[in-house]
Amino acid sequence: MECPENRDLNLKPAVTVSGRISNLTFINLSMLAVLLVVFAAASLLVPRFFNINNISNLIAQQAELIIIGIGVTFLLVSGYIDMSVGGIISMAAVLSAYFCQSASAASFSLGSGLGMSYPLAISLTLLCCMAIGAINAFFVVRMRIASVIVTLGSMAISRGIAMILAKGAQRNTGMPTEFRFLGQFTLIGTINLTVLLMLVLVIAALIVEKKTVFGRRTYLIGANPVAAKLSGIRVERQVSSLYILSALLAGITGVLMASKFNSGNCSLGTGNEFDALVITVLGGTSVVGGFGSVSGTVVGAFILGILSTSVNMLGFPPALQMLVRGSVTIIAILAQRLALDKRNV
Amino acid sequence: MHTTINGRISWKTLIKSLYVLGLLLLIVLIFTLVSRKFLGIPNIVNILRQAVPAIMIGGPFTLLMISGNIDLSVGGVVGLTSVIYALLVKAGISFLGAGLLTLLLGLLIGYLNGFLVMKLRIVPVIATLATMNLCIGFGKLLSPKGIGLIRNLPEGVEKFARASFILRLPAAFYLSVLLIIILVLVQRKTILGKYTAAIGGNRVAAELSGVNSIKTVWTLYVIVGFCSALAGVARASYLSLGDPETGMGMELNAIIAVLLGGTNFFGGEGSVSRTVVGVLILTCLSAGMQVIGMPPYWQSLVKGVVLIIALVIDILVKEKIID
Repeated sequence: MECPENRDLNLKPAVTVSGRISNLTFINLSMLAVLLVVFAAASLLVPRFFNINNISNLIAQQAELIIIGIGVTFLLVSGYIDMSVGGIISMAAVLSAYFCQSASAASFSLGSGLGMSYPLAISLTLLCCMAIGAINAFFVVRMRIASVIVTLGSMAISRGIAMILAKGAQRNTGMPTEFRFLGQFTLIGTINLTVLLMLVLVIAALIVEKKTVFGRRTYLIGANPVAAKLSGIRVERQVSSLYILSALLAGITGVLMASKFNSGNCSLGTGNEFDALVITVLGGTSVVGGFGSVSGTVVGAFILGILSTSVNMLGFPPALQMLVRGSVTIIAILAQRLALDKRNV
Repeated sequence: MHTTINGRISWKTLIKSLYVLGLLLLIVLIFTLVSRKFLGIPNIVNILRQAVPAIMIGGPFTLLMISGNIDLSVGGVVGLTSVIYALLVKAGISFLGAGLLTLLLGLLIGYLNGFLVMKLRIVPVIATLATMNLCIGFGKLLSPKGIGLIRNLPEGVEKFARASFILRLPAAFYLSVLLIIILVLVQRKTILGKYTAAIGGNRVAAELSGVNSIKTVWTLYVIVGFCSALAGVARASYLSLGDPETGMGMELNAIIAVLLGGTNFFGGEGSVSRTVVGVLILTCLSAGMQVIGMPPYWQSLVKGVVLIIALVIDILVKEKIID
């Protein structure tokens, strides 16, 4: 089992009395160093990598992953896993299209929907996503069922809903013109609404995790659920809100993705649950809870993004991406543990 | 089956162990009412043939879950081993030789999983998700670009899992039955089975009473890896294909089957034989959906709903009937 001191130290201020930085800051800085090394290596070794277009593409690509990564990080810090985010993305994408497609009297087909106004369609979509989050919360928190099992089930349900509504394909006709506005609006280059939203959400998440009672409770629950309960934290309520939050973030990502492609495709978000876990773990969040930070997840997202882009640009087959993800996860967990063990001797 | 102090089987435990059979009968009944074809011999043979890989995985998966651990890489292992087996037989190695080499690979992957989880103490979910990605990634690298399938396997590859052996059923089916019998005996009669239950019930207590939990769970991971490879060979033979993605979703099927069988996933108790009934429920559902003409994109939702139903039944049976 994980050694308890590692987790407790995280509850201390960033700089302790002895002048040493905390374990969390240490891991965050280490991963930042790794990111810089990876970035430098990619710039030197991969032709055309160090190029403003390429880098801004990279940021835009990783923004979606970071948004769902925020929810996954908070849950992992409190000791729970959410495997349903990928499924929720596809459900949100298809629902947001289905709700606002024109309700023509023609027989049921992929072109006709419910004919709602776009804002109403988005709100309803997000509500449906939060309902999936609430189902997760009910079974995990109330019924005390292992979170992997429950969220794998809700992944199947949410992707199933998307697949049925899109008949295993996509809904891409009959949407109002404003459907594509959110995803295709850009500020400069590829800096679009998703990137801006990612920035806002990351800053908000950092404030929540460092400065608010809600954030600190999350850490305490992950570090020691029994102690958290005994000290009067309503663990069930806290974890439930985290599951609903995570589902909401995945829903927002799904709506934005559908808008970007101007299509509600039921295969969107495939594998994103694992990607979100990989970047969270790369960022130093402990897989047993109580330790981690959204800032680490952002760093992790860019490490993974640079590695994936490099694999692509060097002309390796895409299957290599899966090998990179799998091995990087295990290496990151082991390296971070080794570093912390050495430091805390 | 548990017995009460005076030796009689209490009827509450009887309900607990039989409700899953009732569920299977109910599903069969419903599909038979909708379509007469469902209980026809060809369909039954088909269902049993399709269930083979899931039965092979479900058995050892139950033991692993009884010990309180999980292996999400089984689907990935099935995909990779189907590719390896296909490549080996295509390279001219005999079916038996190729099968044995593939099983060896399964043992190695199981050993790796056990090493990551028990020696390096990486949480089972994360460790096995990583190996799942490694397996599918390697499988895809080894498959030809484009279609991503290894086709045109030599004549006779389908003998193991498709062609009739006895009573129209293939050899792989009888092998899976044999495997389940062995695993039931392992669970009930051997020290490995006792240790597995003890670790799942209370790992610390088990360790304090001298159970080597690392070795025990590691062994279970190796068994799961081996059986997944066997399922991969059966799958390749059934499809006459090597397909790196053929096992996708099998981990979820295994979990659902184990839950339907009433295994307590906090560990401690469960039954391999009831998992087989769980597997049959799932296979009947997907076959029945085909028979009554439901489009395949309904599968995912049905699976998810069955999982939730299994959870709810489990909760009801455990809390309302037993207490």
